[in-house]
Amino acid sequence: MKSERLGEFEEFTLLAVRALGDNTYAVPIQQYVEKVTARAVSIGSIYAALARLEEKGFLSSTMSEAVAQRGGKSKRVYTVTPGGLRTARDLHRVRERIWNVIAEGGRS
Amino acid sequence: MTDQSPGSAKREGKLRLPLPARLLLRLSSVPRETRAEVEADLQELFVPRRSHRGRVHAHWRLYHDVASLWLQPHSPVPALTGDSTLSRSKFALLRDARLDLRYAVRLFARQPAILLLTIVGLSLGLGIATASFSIMNAALRGEGIVDPDRAPGVLRTTDRSQATAWAYEEFLRLREGATRMQVEAVMTDAAAARTGSAETAVPSVGVAFVSGGFFAATGGRTTLGRPLEPGDEQYVNEGGSAPVVVSFVFWTSRLNRDPAVVGRTIWIGRTAATIVGVAERGFSAPHNRLLWMPLTAYGAVYDAAPVKRTPDVGVEVFGRLLPDVALSEAEAQLSGVAAALPPDATAGNATLRARLDPDAGLGRVSSSDALAITLFVFALIGLVLLLACANVATVLIATAITREREMGVRAALGASRWRIVRQLVTESLALGAIAATIGLLCAYWAIPLIGTMVEAPSGADLTPDFKVYVFLAIVTLVTGVAAGLAPAWHGRGADLVTPLKGEGARYNRVAPRRFRSMLVMTQAASSVLLIVTATLFMRATFRAATIDVGFDAGGLYAVTPGLGRDAFANGGSGIRTFWARAISELQTVPGISTVTLAELTPFSDLTKSSVTSDGPSRVVYFNRTGAEYFETLGLRTLTGRTYTRAEVAAKAPVALVSESLARAYWPDQSPVGQMLPQQIPVAENRPLVIGVVADAITARLHERNAFAVYEPLDPASEVFAELLIRVAPGTDGVIDQARQRLRSIDPQADVKVASVAARLQQEAGRPRMLATLTGIVGIIGIVLCVIGLYGLTASVVAQRAREMAVRAAMGAEPLALLRLLMWDSLRPVVLGLTLGAGAALLAGRVVVAAMFFGVSPRDPMAFIGAAIILLAAAILAVVAPTRRAATVDAALVLRQS
Repeated sequence: MKSERLGEFEEFTLLAVRALGDNTYAVPIQQYVEKVTARAVSIGSIYAALARLEEKGFLSSTMSEAVAQRGGKSKRVYTVTPGGLRTARDLHRVRERIWNVIAEGGRS
Repeated sequence: MTDQSPGSAKREGKLRLPLPARLLLRLSSVPRETRAEVEADLQELFVPRRSHRGRVHAHWRLYHDVASLWLQPHSPVPALTGDSTLSRSKFALLRDARLDLRYAVRLFARQPAILLLTIVGLSLGLGIATASFSIMNAALRGEGIVDPDRAPGVLRTTDRSQATAWAYEEFLRLREGATRMQVEAVMTDAAAARTGSAETAVPSVGVAFVSGGFFAATGGRTTLGRPLEPGDEQYVNEGGSAPVVVSFVFWTSRLNRDPAVVGRTIWIGRTAATIVGVAERGFSAPHNRLLWMPLTAYGAVYDAAPVKRTPDVGVEVFGRLLPDVALSEAEAQLSGVAAALPPDATAGNATLRARLDPDAGLGRVSSSDALAITLFVFALIGLVLLLACANVATVLIATAITREREMGVRAALGASRWRIVRQLVTESLALGAIAATIGLLCAYWAIPLIGTMVEAPSGADLTPDFKVYVFLAIVTLVTGVAAGLAPAWHGRGADLVTPLKGEGARYNRVAPRRFRSMLVMTQAASSVLLIVTATLFMRATFRAATIDVGFDAGGLYAVTPGLGRDAFANGGSGIRTFWARAISELQTVPGISTVTLAELTPFSDLTKSSVTSDGPSRVVYFNRTGAEYFETLGLRTLTGRTYTRAEVAAKAPVALVSESLARAYWPDQSPVGQMLPQQIPVAENRPLVIGVVADAITARLHERNAFAVYEPLDPASEVFAELLIRVAPGTDGVIDQARQRLRSIDPQADVKVASVAARLQQEAGRPRMLATLTGIVGIIGIVLCVIGLYGLTASVVAQRAREMAVRAAMGAEPLALLRLLMWDSLRPVVLGLTLGAGAALLAGRVVVAAMFFGVSPRDPMAFIGAAIILLAAAILAVVAPTRRAATVDAALVLRQS
């Protein structure tokens, strides 16, 4: 597994997959990211982010069964890998640390 | 798995993505395997958006999403990484083309001048090709007669004459008697047509008065309503307004394509007419007619009350052979009918026959004429395109020289030859596409303009049709590919190393230079060919306008009486009385110098001719005239005398011949006192030649046939005669006065006075059309040539900057350098000039001499003019860049490299 860094948008996407409870796919992810970031997100960028995340090993994907409501078309569902989770947590932790420093500095 | 889709409850399963979005998706870089999935995703997003936020928002977001897929550079769809089958999409080529296009745009953005030059050149070329094709297409489209070979004209033939005109009564008998063919008649005229009562400026439009079966016989169909039918002839007896079929052009231009036009009333001449149909687009037989009415409506259109129910002028008869009937069979049968016709005044005691001629009648251009024009125009279009193509190739080569390094780098990095060629072709195709669009706009703008210049008849439909677009598309493609391949060919076998070494290692290969010179030569040659032809045509136009018809057409007017049928009774005594009074009345009108009767007036559509029986058979025109005819026309008597009034009245067997005819049959002696030669067929007594008059061209201008025999117009023939009036120059209002006098003789007569000069001008229109066309093309040719030459010289000279610097450093004078560079650049031009002149000489021979109206194809003026124009243009194009190079600072250039 490559150890790669996460971009901001990739991070959102990764967290969205986790937040939606794994085994989710592009459409709900797009809707979620759009909702939480409060800005228009194109499906193309979601695809791109998912592809990069999978390439970096943060996500894994499988094809789902054909779903009747999608006109019989199957979809690719994503799950966050342990590596992805760890990286996201690391990132979060780094941020927390920095914010703590800022908070302390502000108090003093 | 939890279904997170918030809109799932409201999802309408049947709703599909809009078609454009699906198409765009197909064309995007999304691989085929995942396209269905992406489409499903898009739909899943689209449906709830649509129901929550409205259609506009949903569509906006949808196309935004599709665009995001397009913009992802490396097919971002996740499936690619998961699957090992990494198949190329069907549209991989398209993707590459997009890449090529992006390079092209980048290149053009760097060199906007080159882009501009090329596009200007190409759009001019494509525009002119499209416009000329479009006009020729319209001119040669024919008039919509189905299977014209089976619809021959019926010629009224006696032993000594044949004419296209038959009396209406004769036509009725022919129609009744014909069993092998359907016999129909048509008569063309013009009348003022008003489409609404409020219309003030009312243009006169071409009307065809036709027998009931005209549409059936010609195969003319209607877009709206119905064609005219045999029953329509009877409308005069049944009352009501005249039925009329309007042409597509009339419907479009005058009736605003009103879909409910059938049943509408318009006013034609003096009558109201009800539109019963709109003819199909492209049907305009004969002679670009805009309206078709029954023959029986002729009186209603032109006559004051009481209206005559049959036309009183000659009608043109044609037929449609019944299936499986041979022409000769129909001709024999119809001749039988014609022979049984009651002898009338004009036929004398000669037997009437009917001759069928598939090339006559119905406004047909003789096929050889049409073919010559087609070939000529296609040669012209080909030449222009060759020019444009060579031009673009030259410019692209000029850029390719400066891009050798880029190509070298790309090749070194592993780009295949095919890839590089494709890049070049894509570039020129992109240029071609832009140029085609501009060219089409130019053509749209130029077509009516050219149409006016060439005096296209108002009925002609010049708007580009489907064929024109196909033509443009093919031509653009071919030009684009050819122009793109040229630099590829130019750069063939290029080694990768040399260009990479940079400017210092310039090399000079011989082959590409030769190729370049060849392109310049081609351009120069085609320009010369064009200019020479244009000059020839231009001169031909002036010649045709001032062509010596042998008489002064200005101030000459032809009068037709438009009397009723009763005037024809008793051997036409009514008409004779009318003429007698008219002549004496008109002679008293101040400003009218002479008045005469003639069976045929100059450049009326009717002719009477016979074909000589000797060696190269010639057409000899016959005319019967009054004694003052020669004075009226202004024809000099060269030998002998003209016939006297007494001879005319007595119908004496005497004749005058034209100068050319006299020279042909009596080369060394005077024809006066001789009998008309046996080779010229005549029906009655062979007349005695009493004089020779100057040549006059009165029938087909381009034939310049001045073989004519004039005989006295006997009183019996006055029935079909017209009156010729010579108005003294510098007098005004004479014709109006004459018209009034004539009306006062017979208030019911529909007197028409036509200017012979106007008829002549119409006749002279054809070479003007070709001259205008070639002239425009020639000018564009020069512009293209200059553009190409400038671009090429600039780049070649820039390339040779180092060489020049070395020469300068070695002590060469700037003037010597200038001379060297100029000569190197101009050499191919001079070669091309010689080549083009040779080609023009050959072409002049090939292009029928008839079209040049007496201008020699070797007209030295044209050649010298062309050479001067081209050389001047070439020197202008070459001088600026070479001067820059010749005055180069040697030290600076050498330091740079």
